Amino acid sequence: MKFQIEDVTVYFPYDNIYPEQYSYMVELKRALDAKGHCLLEMPTGTGKTIALLSLITSYSLSKPQRQVKLIYCTRTVHEMEKTLAELKLLHNYQIKHLGPAAGILAIGLSSRKNLCVNPTVLAAENRDSVDAACRKLTASWVRALAAENPNVPTCEFFENYERAASAAVLPPGVYTLQDLRAYGREKGWCPYFLARHMVQFANVVVYSYQYLLDPKVAGIISKEMQKESVVVFDEAHNIDNVCIEALSVSVRSKTLDGASRNLSRINQEIERFKATDAGRLRAEYNRLVEGLAQRGNLAATDTWLANPALPDDILKEAVPGNIRRAEHFLHVLRRLVQYLRGRLDTENVEKESPISFVASLNTHAGIDQKTLKFCYDRLHSLMLTLEITDTDEFLHIQTICDFATLVGTYSRGFSIIIEPFDERMPHIPDPVLQLSCHDASLAIKPVFDRFQSVVITSGTLSPIDLYPRLLNFHPVVSRSFTMSLTRDCICPMVLTRGSDQLPVSTKFDMRSDPGVARNYGKLLVEMVSVVPDGIVCFFVSYSYMDGIINSWNETGVLKEIMQHKLVFIETQDVVETTLALDNYRRACDCGRGAVFFSVARGKVAEGIDFDRHYGRLVIMFGIPFQYTLSKILIARLEYLRDTFQIKEGDFLTFDALRQAAQCVGRVIRSKADYGMMIFADKRYSRHDKRSKLPGWILSHLRDANLNLSTDMALHIAREFLRKMAQPYDKTGTGGRKTLLSQEDLEKMAENGVQEMLF
Amino acid sequence: MSTAEKRQSNGEAEEDDDDDDGDGHGLDAWERTYTDERSWEALQEDESGLLRPIDNKIIHHAQYRRRLRSLSTTAARIQKGLIRFLYIVVDLSRAASEMDFRPSRMVVIVKHVEAFVREFFDRNPLSQIGLVTIKDGVAHSLTELGGSPESHIKALMGKMECSGDSSLQNALNLVQGYLDQIPSYGHREVLILCSALSTCDPGDIMETIKQCKKSKIRCSVIGLSAEMFICKHLCQETGGIYSVAMDEVHFKELMLEHAPPPPAIAEFAIANLIKMGFPQRVAEGSISICSCHKEAKVGDGYICPRCKARVCELPTECRVCGLTLVSSPHLARSYHHLFPIVPFDEVSPRQNVLHHRPPKTCFGCQQSLLNPGNKPSLCVACPKCKQYFCIDCDIIYMRACITAQAVTALDIHSQSPLMKNEEYCCRLLCFPAAIRL
Repeated sequence: MKFQIEDVTVYFPYDNIYPEQYSYMVELKRALDAKGHCLLEMPTGTGKTIALLSLITSYSLSKPQRQVKLIYCTRTVHEMEKTLAELKLLHNYQIKHLGPAAGILAIGLSSRKNLCVNPTVLAAENRDSVDAACRKLTASWVRALAAENPNVPTCEFFENYERAASAAVLPPGVYTLQDLRAYGREKGWCPYFLARHMVQFANVVVYSYQYLLDPKVAGIISKEMQKESVVVFDEAHNIDNVCIEALSVSVRSKTLDGASRNLSRINQEIERFKATDAGRLRAEYNRLVEGLAQRGNLAATDTWLANPALPDDILKEAVPGNIRRAEHFLHVLRRLVQYLRGRLDTENVEKESPISFVASLNTHAGIDQKTLKFCYDRLHSLMLTLEITDTDEFLHIQTICDFATLVGTYSRGFSIIIEPFDERMPHIPDPVLQLSCHDASLAIKPVFDRFQSVVITSGTLSPIDLYPRLLNFHPVVSRSFTMSLTRDCICPMVLTRGSDQLPVSTKFDMRSDPGVARNYGKLLVEMVSVVPDGIVCFFVSYSYMDGIINSWNETGVLKEIMQHKLVFIETQDVVETTLALDNYRRACDCGRGAVFFSVARGKVAEGIDFDRHYGRLVIMFGIPFQYTLSKILIARLEYLRDTFQIKEGDFLTFDALRQAAQCVGRVIRSKADYGMMIFADKRYSRHDKRSKLPGWILSHLRDANLNLSTDMALHIAREFLRKMAQPYDKTGTGGRKTLLSQEDLEKMAENGVQEMLF
Repeated sequence: MSTAEKRQSNGEAEEDDDDDDGDGHGLDAWERTYTDERSWEALQEDESGLLRPIDNKIIHHAQYRRRLRSLSTTAARIQKGLIRFLYIVVDLSRAASEMDFRPSRMVVIVKHVEAFVREFFDRNPLSQIGLVTIKDGVAHSLTELGGSPESHIKALMGKMECSGDSSLQNALNLVQGYLDQIPSYGHREVLILCSALSTCDPGDIMETIKQCKKSKIRCSVIGLSAEMFICKHLCQETGGIYSVAMDEVHFKELMLEHAPPPPAIAEFAIANLIKMGFPQRVAEGSISICSCHKEAKVGDGYICPRCKARVCELPTECRVCGLTLVSSPHLARSYHHLFPIVPFDEVSPRQNVLHHRPPKTCFGCQQSLLNPGNKPSLCVACPKCKQYFCIDCDIIYMRACITAQAVTALDIHSQSPLMKNEEYCCRLLCFPAAIRL
């Protein structure tokens, strides 16, 4: 269908549109017009992605003088593929209606692991080894060597790509990762380098958050993007954590051991080069005198990781004299590693600011701040000079240099925390030195500064006013949309009491109460007998889950559950969890029914959908607060209070509730779906907690369902499931119009947009 | 003890009521407190916080219209499977003892199976039924395919106990084994009454479903508690209907929906000729040994025209020569399924307002067509004479007309002299006729 939003003609690939999609587009368009950032919350299953894509592509079609480039960031490769598939549909539709003039180039970009087509490289198991294997075949010096000696293996795909040179371009179209691989195979060109090259010319680029937020990667990939781009962060409810993680480093004694090994290896290499090719080292020295800014001249294959600190700060200055020579730099690194080892060898927990850390480093090891700042680039340059290709072996020393550069660059928003053992296991010494970033706005600031419009969107962004404060920006539009439904297909409930009327909670003082565990067990036992197919349970932490499952096992609750459904448990092992999920799905498919025990903030809670019969009910046992005694969290809370005036309690509740919302939101992925959500904790009934849930859940949370006991919840569940099993009209009956056709929209445009349904 | 009995008898009384007005709304609130102790569940809070009785009427009406619509879309002279071989699978697993249906799911199921079996033979005199139960994860054949309602009901009444898990696969395997031997003109159907929410299967149920599809067995499921994916999948694959009962009344309706013959899917049904015999009644007072019970009986029987064996009931298959024995009224009764009556058109409230001022009252019962609050409610119009009716009247006419097949088979509009008077709706005219029959 085709319709007007103010002065933009929107091409939408479906015949009908949801009203909330329409309002979403209107808001988005205004943000684009205002050239500002925006924050939009819309429930999952309402077609956020297609609304976004079709508006932005239509916007640039309608205004050819303002070419908008779309940079779409997703969290996982799977989401990336889904987005590109939607875009393909949209693109075909636009081509059909507008002819080839509407042609765009859209590509997905991912790591070598997902894009490589060379079978020998792909044989490596993880991402780092694939990268290293690729570099072994494509580094400039390897290729130079191969030119002389045909026995040196190279990658034929890359060679072909290089030979084609400027002729190696993608024709317009939408390319998923799979399409890219297929195209690469067909032409014999390396898809990874082709995609990286085409990123500059593409109208739409879909890639992972890290490519924009992690300065190490952003420097290489996203350098060339023009200002007129629209950046979209999808599923961005955790964006502050991603930002923080991008700038945090932790060093363990294992890292230090590895770093020492790496250093001696580098030393050998230097000796070898001195004996054979001293000219190279001298050339490097000269280059460093002129400054690192020339890095751009290096071949594309030789860059691998850029500076972890923000660009521009460093590139303009020359490398300090004391680390220009390879041996001297090596000495500095040795002293640094030695110093860190000394710091790790402590009995007490220590907390320090970067300034005092640098000062003490200066007095004890004689390394000043400026030297630290350049560590990362210097290492990079050295490894290039030494022609080291197996970079996956050198991850440890890279971590150390990463740490050094961050400490040297930032004085605010960070703290260094040394813990001699894990709080939960005080007997096992496991010293760790963490440089933790507290300020999410640091990593995302360059993105806000550089790009004209940044769109942050997700199914759960409530409370929506907190995000601008956390990320320190001023959105021109921030809106939360609700879902228009033909029937009440979600049924949230707050369960405060067990069947014996005793309150249930995972509060610290009630946690170990056997009565609570018994009541939780009773709830699940009752629920498995009335809910068909799949049930998902979320616990607040792994340790709590282990404890409660143990006690259920002892009291026979688990056995009772098994009479109705099979039980699967998420563990910290990824392979095990994948297997469990696989079997869980099979059990749901074949009608046996299954329960999945999972942990809020775990892998499953973030990335796996439990839609349709895979999740008819989700039970959130307790409120998933962060571990409040964690030193890092305390430091971050202090920083937030001092800098952004966010109260500790507010932040903790906000964070816990968004996790809870994220967990329960897993069950509903489309309007035709239905599911129940049980918040099993008495604290959810309190207004300050409840009000932080997203609007689309709150609007279905009836007052009557706020203070339930197990038997009442059971009754509601029975009724709800019976009601939902009845056939229903998809278009909606009576006055509740939930699907708009083209005529409806035209009528609405005549009557003025004020009369919209929201 | 006595309370249980009372409940039982109350349940039956309720059922009698249902026969009268079809929807079970005939019970007053005070009566309901006796049939069901949980009277508070019949209340719900509305937007303004007031307590109101749950208004299931709208849901029921919507469902009724939907059903009608689905029927009318297929109404265009389709082939119907009149000779049906139906297995009813009754799930007597642990879940059947749950008390959410009063007095228990099992009792309710058995009661309605009984009603269904009678209704079924009434509508499909040429068809046969067999009963299978699932208990302790194993499927048992209770009765073999046969045409006598009494024997089925008796067998089921004797097996009223439940335990263990349910196994859909075992039941399907068993039924498939029986139905595979049915000649090609017969329609193979399974109706599963499923109260369990999980199924413990020995193997891959998907494979079994595929086989059922291959043997052209139409599987339908009526659930008693919630929608299960595997049941839905089974019905989708084999072309059956999946439904879930909201309450006892709804359950009964859903059961009875399976009584009229389903449309024959072209590839499933191969039309061919069947040899049938029309037996004569045994002379009054003569004594002969009947072939079905193997005992001597006086009078009251039929004699197979081919082998002269005596059978007690019709329709059946002759035990001796295997001839299908029917009587001509049986054939006639099956006949009306082939010519369904045309349903009333639905008039949506909006359309109602747009076109012309609609009449304020139902043409049939003279009740107001407006909901409380002056909102127009759903109503229907006769496609021929354009009179408006309320849904309740529509339901009654629809039922009456099906019973009064002889009348509807005639095209009243062209033939009846009474129709000159345009005061009456065409459907209304046949209504008294139906009552007379």
